[in-house]
Amino acid sequence: MARSLWSGSLSFGLVNVPVALFSGVKDTDLHFRQLSAKNHVPVEIHRFCAEEDEEVPYDEIANGFETDDDDLVILTDAELATAAPRKTRTIDIEAFVDLDDVDPTYYDHPYVLMPAGEAEGTLRAYRLLLEVMERTERAALGRFVLRTKEYLALIRARDDRLVLTTMLWHDEVRPAKDVPTPGKKDKPAKKEIDGAVALIDALSCPWDPSRYEDRYQKRLRKIVRDKSKGKTIEVPEEEKQPSPVPDLMAALEETLAEIKSG
Amino acid sequence: MPPRSIWNGTIAFGLVAVPVKVYSATESHTIHFREVHAKDGSKIEHRRINPKTGKAVDYKDIVKGYELSKGKWVELTDDEIAAAAGGQSRRIDVDHFVPADEIAPEFYERTYYLGAQDKGRDAYALLHAALDRSGRAGVGHWVFHNRERTVVLRPVDDVLLLHTMRFAADLVDPSDLELGRVQRKPSDREIKMASSLVDGLHTKFSPSDYSDTYRDAVMEVIKRKASGKNIEPPADEEPEAADDLLAALEASLANA
Repeated sequence: MARSLWSGSLSFGLVNVPVALFSGVKDTDLHFRQLSAKNHVPVEIHRFCAEEDEEVPYDEIANGFETDDDDLVILTDAELATAAPRKTRTIDIEAFVDLDDVDPTYYDHPYVLMPAGEAEGTLRAYRLLLEVMERTERAALGRFVLRTKEYLALIRARDDRLVLTTMLWHDEVRPAKDVPTPGKKDKPAKKEIDGAVALIDALSCPWDPSRYEDRYQKRLRKIVRDKSKGKTIEVPEEEKQPSPVPDLMAALEETLAEIKSG
Repeated sequence: MPPRSIWNGTIAFGLVAVPVKVYSATESHTIHFREVHAKDGSKIEHRRINPKTGKAVDYKDIVKGYELSKGKWVELTDDEIAAAAGGQSRRIDVDHFVPADEIAPEFYERTYYLGAQDKGRDAYALLHAALDRSGRAGVGHWVFHNRERTVVLRPVDDVLLLHTMRFAADLVDPSDLELGRVQRKPSDREIKMASSLVDGLHTKFSPSDYSDTYRDAVMEVIKRKASGKNIEPPADEEPEAADDLLAALEASLANA
């Protein structure tokens, strides 16, 4: 089984469930290493003190924070850890919400939450939470500290497990007000919206994530294969950008006609 | 200060071209530290060392390599790696539409705002209005930073959002993680009590109700350290699993 990233307790009222957190993503990407050009040996990153020009062991490295007055405050990991005494070990469920009310902009990273250990009490409490969340179709909101950041987390039932999605804080979502959007005079005519909606309807289908594959990684694998066989890698040219059409209605009608004929 | 766009291009919606600018919709507010030498705060540098020679290697003498098999490397230039993007495309073809509420939270990666360009604002307004009315989200592909991503376009208020999405193949199937069996399933009574606890805590999600208290706590520790105070680690509490689930539920409900 994969290694857990965090373990602690999921607390729901006075019910505590010892849990372990696992990553919800797999790394399927191709990774490159930095090599010394001369002999193709992967280089290692070592930490050096810039003043002494000497290598510094990891336990002699601390966290430096520059204040607004340009003073440097040095905190050891232990001192920094005091900022999160209890919460590093507990996810306190503060509320239950409807998933439909959550703007996807807030979703950050997915994890799977599993019971820690095989104790009957732990498994039963986990099972109880799972069943209740499945039945009520609600998601729990809690907060916890992972490494050196506090997260708001959404926990819900999926595939007979509890899954956790970390969320951004509200001040980490920028306001949209400064983004240039069309004004009143650009308002489309009803006929145009009807045409565009007809086009959307004609091109609608259910969300099926399995139809999307990482074509970039696929091409990258081919490039690595080709290069290893000594082939030349061609850099493709930039595609031409379509330019705005003068007559939106005509473009919509033409597109719809193409779909129907085709 | 007006935001700076990070990409310019065109959304192709059938034969309708929507010229757009892309802006980041999110920013991190995590307090960042830099690595320093604990004893005197001097700067720490990361140096690339050749483990064979123990000597530092200059950045200009570094190449990128992929390990085909143990010790056998294939070297690639940045241009060759960039070629995998399949042409520096400046267009996003939105060629099908899905009900946005069918997309599970796991798939959402990052969010961007789409801004209208001066030309083709009518096309932007049309796409926005049509998505809004149909209740659907547009799906396309976006080449950005040498990566190609599946993206979902969604109208919110006056603006179009662009979400980059994770691939299904990159998500862990939760049922691959083994779950131990219980000897005794939760009883109807326990489920009923837990459900009333859930109902009692039910609320409408409002992001501004929650703020990062840890960030404040870190700033507090920094201030105390700066004023020369001692930083004492607090005692760690460790909650135990409730042996008597029913009693814990009853007590929780009594507290609620």
